[in-house]
Amino acid sequence: MWNTISFGEACVEPAIKQFLAPCQERCPINEDIQRTNVLISLLPEDLEQAKEGLTQIGDYLFENNPFFPVCGYVCGICELGCNYQSKGGSIRRRLLKRFVSDHYLDHLDKKQEYGVVKDAGNVAVVGGGPGGLMCAFHLSKKGYKVTMFEASGRLGGALWLIPHYRLPKVVLQRVIENMLRVASIDVKYNSKLGEGNLSLDKLRKDGYKAVFIAKGTPSPRVLTFGRDLVDNLDLDGVMYGQTFLYEVSRGILAKDYLGGKAAIVIGGGNVAFDVARSARRLGGDITLVALECSDKSSKDCIPADYEEIRGAWEEGIRIIYSRGVSKILGEGGRFTGIVSPKCISVFDKEGRFNPQFDIEDAITVNGDVLIVTVGQGPDWAFLQQEGLLDNQRRLAIDPLTLQSHTKEWVFLGGDVRRVGFMVDAMREGREAAVSIERYLKGLDIKAGRKRQFEAFAIPQLKDEDYRSEPEVVWIPADRRLNFQLFEQGFSLEEAIAEARRCLYCGPCASCRACVSVGIQDDLPTVVIHENLCSGCGICVSSCHYSAAHLKEAGGSLVAATDMFRCKACGVCVPSCPAGARELIGSEMEKRIAEVYASL
Amino acid sequence: MTEFIPKLVCFSCKFGWGYLNSNGYDKQIKNLIPVICIGKVDTTHIIGAFKDGADGLLILGCPDGQCHFKTGNYQARKRVFLLHNILEEFGIEPGRLKIALDIDPEGTRIPLIIEEMRTEVGSLGPLSPMV
Repeated sequence: MWNTISFGEACVEPAIKQFLAPCQERCPINEDIQRTNVLISLLPEDLEQAKEGLTQIGDYLFENNPFFPVCGYVCGICELGCNYQSKGGSIRRRLLKRFVSDHYLDHLDKKQEYGVVKDAGNVAVVGGGPGGLMCAFHLSKKGYKVTMFEASGRLGGALWLIPHYRLPKVVLQRVIENMLRVASIDVKYNSKLGEGNLSLDKLRKDGYKAVFIAKGTPSPRVLTFGRDLVDNLDLDGVMYGQTFLYEVSRGILAKDYLGGKAAIVIGGGNVAFDVARSARRLGGDITLVALECSDKSSKDCIPADYEEIRGAWEEGIRIIYSRGVSKILGEGGRFTGIVSPKCISVFDKEGRFNPQFDIEDAITVNGDVLIVTVGQGPDWAFLQQEGLLDNQRRLAIDPLTLQSHTKEWVFLGGDVRRVGFMVDAMREGREAAVSIERYLKGLDIKAGRKRQFEAFAIPQLKDEDYRSEPEVVWIPADRRLNFQLFEQGFSLEEAIAEARRCLYCGPCASCRACVSVGIQDDLPTVVIHENLCSGCGICVSSCHYSAAHLKEAGGSLVAATDMFRCKACGVCVPSCPAGARELIGSEMEKRIAEVYASL
Repeated sequence: MTEFIPKLVCFSCKFGWGYLNSNGYDKQIKNLIPVICIGKVDTTHIIGAFKDGADGLLILGCPDGQCHFKTGNYQARKRVFLLHNILEEFGIEPGRLKIALDIDPEGTRIPLIIEEMRTEVGSLGPLSPMV
């Protein structure tokens, strides 16, 4: 249907500073968002006919981001950068991506293997989460024989913490299975580094020329009050949110596991809300207690996304803001409640996590179960044992290249290096693949790695021309208390309409969707005949991409066009009263001459 | 008397009309000029068409809010509106310059709209040659 050529990486020029649409600049992997929006906007209105186009879009996204179907359910960081936010609401790009993925997965199951010859060397990837998988995928494409070492019996890592009502199990499973199959990646399950005789030295001896460690954060953070560990964390009925979510994901907890029980969840992040909403779906009466306050303008505002809080509230979860835990109460070895003092400040003046409490203002919250979800940390013992820490007991690593300072053949990334989102780990997996390839080829690992991006501003339209974002449709809360997906995705018609709402803020060079679709053979260029230009500036007001501007030339003002911002639409050409502007490379004038001559 | 068949010129926007038709529809329809955006169609092109012998000119663009470049269709509408008044002073009836705003991905409606216009302009008669 189209000629969507894949350039392997986002089709931006390899300059050091690049201009991008703000959504692409915000996306940690700089995905080709504008391009996919244009392509979606040009799909046929009949779903059967659109399938071929959707497959092409999906294939294009898969090349650089094999996780893209998962992103469509759980990410959406790009929407935070969208220029439309201030004018009616960000383009609902996550749902657009989910739309593509919903219609692409069937094709993905049948996608042909790359069949790359794996003769460039053996590389080990430790950790089967998004960071490790992304690194393995990209290294495999480059011809390295990658073996993954996964501690548990399944790949996916922290992605399994995401409840199935947000990310359906089948989507995650199919994405991972197909990624392994298409890139031919070997996996050793139940192989935990640091256990038995499996160590970095052993990997070295077994012939692995480089190792990428993306072990993530398997250790839940314990509950402390001031500097001390809170007593009674070992009572019956006290558990960690991370453990709880993993058990939920394995489907080993009964549907009414918390039926008739009151559960208290400690924590204010998205994971705590995942825990609270999952616990609610298992029949519990849930109260969430967070240190932070609800005021989004405060420095201490609750970190969880608004959508999670709204969902939790709709599902009947009680949220107690600005309170901590000073004591865990128990009786006969069982958990019975917490003593919760008022938290007056979470972060101090230097921005450090340093909660301050008013112990006089304390309430007792009773419950049968306590789920502690206050964060997680890496396996420090393993990192220490392998000599990867520095004198301050921090990871000794170059954050740009992800290479270890102590062992040059070892690279680390993802949550183990710094806790972030799924897409941050994916980015580091991809960067590590680049670093490892350069290291093994003896090339300069650092050269050209520091990339700077600048986001374009919003094109100027009349205020009444901006449209508001479409509503997101959720199943009503009373029908939501199960682990089924509750958010409705776009129909083809809605997807095309939303893709058309996009303003295509970014430069043409990083898009070229119109060329792929066959609308034009190449991007034309606007030139100004300065001898004809009087510097009147009418073209400046006709261009709402801020490409046309005036500049000084030989003592007077003449028009100029910023090549990065110009969309080659040619609207400035007729606006010039002196005919000083011309669009080179467009066949329009030639065709006009032909047609008029034949009249 | 031989029946008068008016000579029409048609500009169509590539992002709104026929972008899903890969059969080279623009080569099949005589006097069709696809452009990247009708905002690019200049008054000189329009007047030039009438000067060179066209009896009617049709512009096909995208509806309000759907222009790929956001305001190109608005620019074209402005131009057509102003030109209608001016052309009338010179004896060129407004019915000879028409703008239609819609989305037609397959481009199947282009021949139909041209036929319609041909009938309308046909009843106006041939345009007297300009000096």
